[in-house]
Amino acid sequence: MNNMILAVPVLLPVIGGGSILFSERRSRGGRRLLSPERFAGCLVLLNSLIVAAILLIPGARGEGLVLFRLFANLTVMFRIDRMGSVFAGLVAFLWPLATLYSFEYMKHENRKDTFFAFYVMTYGITMGIAFAGNLTTLYLFYEMLTLVTFPLVLFPLSREAVRASRTYLYFSIGGAAFAFIGLVFVMSFSVTGTTAFQPGGMLNPETAAGSRDILLFVYVLAFFGFGVKAAVFPCHVWLPRATVAPTPVTALLHAVAVVKSGAFAILRFTYFNYGAGFVRGSWAQWVIMAAALATILFGSTMAVREVHWKRRLAYSTISNLSYILFGAALMTPFGLAASLSHLTAHAFMKICSFFCAGAVMHQTGKTYIYELDGLGRRMPVTFACLLTASLSLMGIPLFAGFISKWNLCRAAFLYGDQYADGPGGWLVYAGVAVILYSALMTGIYMFSVLIRAYTPVHEGQAQEDPAQTASDPGWMMLVPLLIFAAVILLIGLHSGPLMGLLTAIGGEAG
Amino acid sequence: MTVYTQNGNGLLIPGVCGQGMHLGLDGFRLIYVCIAVFMWAVSGVFSGEYMAHYEKRGRYYRFFWATFAATVGVFLSADLYTTFIFFEIMSFTSYVWVAFDEKKESLKAAQTYLAIAVIGGMVMLMGLFLLYDQFGTLEMDALGPLAGDVLARGPGAERLRLYTAGGLLLFGFGAKAGCFPLHIWLPRAHPAAPAPASALLSGILTKAGVFGIIYVSCILFAGDKAWGELIAGLGFATMFIGALLALFSTNLKRTLACSSISQIGFILAGISTAVLLENEGLGNALAVHGAFLHMISHSLIKLVLFLCAGVVYMNLHELEFNAIRGFGRGKPALLFCFLMGALGIAGIPLWNGYISKTLLHEGIVEYTAAIGAAGLWKWSEGLFLLSGGMTVAYMLKLFVMLFVDRNPERQREFDAMTASYMKMPARAALIAAAVPLPALGALPHLTMDRLAAMGAGFFGLSEYGHAVSYFSLENLKGGLITVGIGAALYLGVVRTFMIKKEAGGPVYVDRWPSWLDLEYAVYRPALTLLTAVCAVLCRAMDHLADGVIVLARRTTHSQLPEPATHKEGNWLAHFFGSLADGSVFLWDKLTGRMELYGKRRTAVSRLLNKEVRIKYIGRLVEESFSFGLMLFCIGLCATLGYLLWVLVA
Repeated sequence: MNNMILAVPVLLPVIGGGSILFSERRSRGGRRLLSPERFAGCLVLLNSLIVAAILLIPGARGEGLVLFRLFANLTVMFRIDRMGSVFAGLVAFLWPLATLYSFEYMKHENRKDTFFAFYVMTYGITMGIAFAGNLTTLYLFYEMLTLVTFPLVLFPLSREAVRASRTYLYFSIGGAAFAFIGLVFVMSFSVTGTTAFQPGGMLNPETAAGSRDILLFVYVLAFFGFGVKAAVFPCHVWLPRATVAPTPVTALLHAVAVVKSGAFAILRFTYFNYGAGFVRGSWAQWVIMAAALATILFGSTMAVREVHWKRRLAYSTISNLSYILFGAALMTPFGLAASLSHLTAHAFMKICSFFCAGAVMHQTGKTYIYELDGLGRRMPVTFACLLTASLSLMGIPLFAGFISKWNLCRAAFLYGDQYADGPGGWLVYAGVAVILYSALMTGIYMFSVLIRAYTPVHEGQAQEDPAQTASDPGWMMLVPLLIFAAVILLIGLHSGPLMGLLTAIGGEAG
Repeated sequence: MTVYTQNGNGLLIPGVCGQGMHLGLDGFRLIYVCIAVFMWAVSGVFSGEYMAHYEKRGRYYRFFWATFAATVGVFLSADLYTTFIFFEIMSFTSYVWVAFDEKKESLKAAQTYLAIAVIGGMVMLMGLFLLYDQFGTLEMDALGPLAGDVLARGPGAERLRLYTAGGLLLFGFGAKAGCFPLHIWLPRAHPAAPAPASALLSGILTKAGVFGIIYVSCILFAGDKAWGELIAGLGFATMFIGALLALFSTNLKRTLACSSISQIGFILAGISTAVLLENEGLGNALAVHGAFLHMISHSLIKLVLFLCAGVVYMNLHELEFNAIRGFGRGKPALLFCFLMGALGIAGIPLWNGYISKTLLHEGIVEYTAAIGAAGLWKWSEGLFLLSGGMTVAYMLKLFVMLFVDRNPERQREFDAMTASYMKMPARAALIAAAVPLPALGALPHLTMDRLAAMGAGFFGLSEYGHAVSYFSLENLKGGLITVGIGAALYLGVVRTFMIKKEAGGPVYVDRWPSWLDLEYAVYRPALTLLTAVCAVLCRAMDHLADGVIVLARRTTHSQLPEPATHKEGNWLAHFFGSLADGSVFLWDKLTGRMELYGKRRTAVSRLLNKEVRIKYIGRLVEESFSFGLMLFCIGLCATLGYLLWVLVA
């Protein structure tokens, strides 16, 4: 249990990012050896390569690594299993591209070292969540994720940013408190006395059966606790407000790292601590399924009504995260596989959409939907990538979103077949209808942007608009967009290997 | 890793798009792919001249060929999953056709088109899920027997599931086909697209929807009476409403689009009689052949007619009757082509429409006779002939408008265009499209019967049925009745009602009431209402979380420093007052009336005032002599009561 290499992808970015913060600023003629961006970029790239090596070289991951013991059996440890490797691989692929994007995006900002320092540190913490081998470690890095992303949300230092970061902090810490209750109960009722993740759950059957209702109640609490980061209905408030942060932050953190960590934590907690068999069929399952469905409806409907582009995408994120949670709530192997497929697909789709929005904001300064008329002609590559992401979010065949939606609905129907419907069984079929309604709403709110962008400017609009001189951003912002769009198409056309891996994960854990 | 496998059943490409694709070829598919190739070729050649004055030709041609690929994919699919994939792609690539010229009306029409396509696609996907879940496969060949089993022997719940799935698929395919109540996009979308694209939209994309309906009706629900009656109801309604809309229209392409709706209705009526005849145990070969041949005929006819409309538009950039009337005078090529199309669609003997309409007519008559003309079926033949007559009437209206009328202002200008209005490639393409129509009609046994035999396998038909003598007296009578009704309608209704005599000459008037529009009267308000209600609920839910926190902060968790004015007073007044304040604040947030915030008087001060008053009055009362006397009296009464009670009890 001492495979030291596992600590490197976690600690290297944290220490490296921290060092950016503490490095001396040479002003007045001195020049720094390595600017914060370059250092951050090299660090992130190096880290991703290390992660790739760990994941791909067979045997590199070993048995795990215990960082330190808290007391008795309780340790902080890393261990990579297949599910962790999916999340780690996803994050490791996306971070360097996002950092490349942020080079150009943040070119004209001050306090770049603060930004890049925390950006890199977040990478390390997210890796910690992916590598976590037990619930304690996951919880530890979960709390640290809040703390290390808080300065990023606060970055613009405007009034809205201050309020948004406060909301974020309060909700996250409040949620973590509820999650802590879950941690304690898992520890008390576990078979092994530790909180280590075990596919199929590690609760002690005798003691757990005796206190089933209490445990289910704690499960629901912990679901909503972790669900704060996963933006489940009552706890979603921070996400639209956090869009005041710069786009690389919103895109990567609030569409990929932070929110997916929340969903990932819920998946781990459900399938690897409690065990799907424990919760399935109980009232707790219907409660969380209802919450997920309410969030899908809520997110999609609010997105249609929202006119600020980034907030619209934030509501879209809220809605899509609950697709993942709906799949998780099915408590079946294929449900887990389907929710992991949407986790992966949505990460690419949303980061592509946010980066397109960021590119438009960077080039033209426009943030509202009604200001985007005609931009599709002037920024063709950007909007082509947005078109790909939109078609994928809607669930049109040939794109990744269709694969994950098909799998989610399949999983829902398979659940209906395999398990005798309990009192809440109709929720599963309602779920399919809700997903299709949400697809329609997604079409409306994504396509209204695209149609506006591609229709020409109407006569009478001011001609000295910056939109008239807009053009596609530089290669540093375009290359990530193109890569994401290509991956969306690739997953859409050839999803076999990915789905094979995810179904295997689901099979062992569900 | 197998990239694809080829076996007797077609081409299977595993792993693509999740479930893999399965393409197959049989008589029906072969014929339709050939028709698609022919129509795209003719349209493509015609587009060369038509699009000459447009700017964004590159975009047009890209989506032109993309739609071709998708449509051929739909027709070649052997698995409903593949059909769905290509169907969605086809919907999106043809959207660009409708939105092509980017005018306001076109964009609105395109918006409706996209909405119907997307909603139809989602509903179809739901139906596919139900089917896949029930049977475990979406292969077209495999589903037929499985569904037949369930319908014949399955328990009620299974059959209900199958009907639901079928209904959802019907919604999805019917939306694309332009079946009654989802036909709303056709009258606006087909005129908005460029004419060669409209020809394809009308001629073949609608048939992609019909392809799906045929599969669902004749294979999945083969011989099912309830299903047959549903399709019959929709078919006859579509047939009649389409013809009615076409008769009233005063726009050239809109008339042709509504005519397409009507002809789709004819095809659906044919499909329904095919299903119902099978239910009765009779051979349904006639109905099947009728439906199939009418599909083919209509595709070819609409190609010609829309291209003729394209000729008119590319010269005049106008489509309203009053602006284009008399354009066709003295233009023999245009006259020939239009006449071929018009005679074909009207069902005149010796043209292809007559053959297919005769077969449809025979099918309807046969079924009505078999059930003894029960229920609404006794009107069916009459409705069929009436719709046929209306077809004749509106085609006659178009013909007279284009080729007989004179244009009061521009006739000289039109007459001068005799050579330049259509250059050689377009002319050749148009004539090449028009010539097959009489050829097919005049030699039915050689051409149409053979085509029908090839295509009938897709309908599940195995035996051939008896040969029909198309030019027998019985059948000719049907054709002549139709023509008679049409002529009567034209002279009686169109010439009197729809043409107004004005100072400069007769003018075509659109008599259709503008409020009678299914889309704007029903669908859009319903959708807007749904999203508005959802939005209000969601916004309330959104503010609820905030509101609860604010409520707590103002009452139980209040941290705000107390304003100096509330030094005295009871804690109860403060508590209830701030509770009331918080509730009012929450209410304001929920109903969105935040402008009142800060303008309401706080409840606390009101309660304090009341409390001061109560105290004052209390002091007054307590210190008065009458109060003491009153207390004394109450005490005496209480003592008395007690004594009485003790004595009595």
